[in-house]
Amino acid sequence: MLQLLILVVCAGILVSGLLAACLKNLMAAMVSSGLAGLFASVSFLLLAAPDVAMAEAAIGSGLTTFIFVYALRSASNGAREP
Amino acid sequence: MAETIIQVAAALILGAILLGVTRLVLGPALVDRIVAIDMLTIISISLIVLYAHVSGRFVYVDVALVYGLLSFLAVLAIARFLENGL
Repeated sequence: MLQLLILVVCAGILVSGLLAACLKNLMAAMVSSGLAGLFASVSFLLLAAPDVAMAEAAIGSGLTTFIFVYALRSASNGAREP
Repeated sequence: MAETIIQVAAALILGAILLGVTRLVLGPALVDRIVAIDMLTIISISLIVLYAHVSGRFVYVDVALVYGLLSFLAVLAIARFLENGL
């Protein structure tokens, strides 16, 4: 059962990565790439690397999405003004 | 008995991950996808805690703690963005 869970988590990385590449809505693509980082962190933990999983959860899933949202907001503000 | 409970919990987590990824793929609106990623975060926290119990290494519970403390940040940023705040 646990090996099936590992397979499902790896399939989740694949699906959310494909979705992040294919979606037209930028915000939804950002959410999907954050989900790819989240599943990658879980798979790092299942491969017995808890420190890497912790760094990936802090940076890859949390901070990257935050910075992406901030950048998209700045860019759309700059595009709207002129 | 305990083995049965762990198997049932793993099956429930498996089904929940499948349902959440399905909603993420199908979800027509952005809000559906955001709620799906929030749900999947909480499901992965439970998966980490279950794996910590199964493997017997309780360092993994710390990872789940960090995960729970940080995971709301992205959803909060996106929610503020949708309300034109940030």
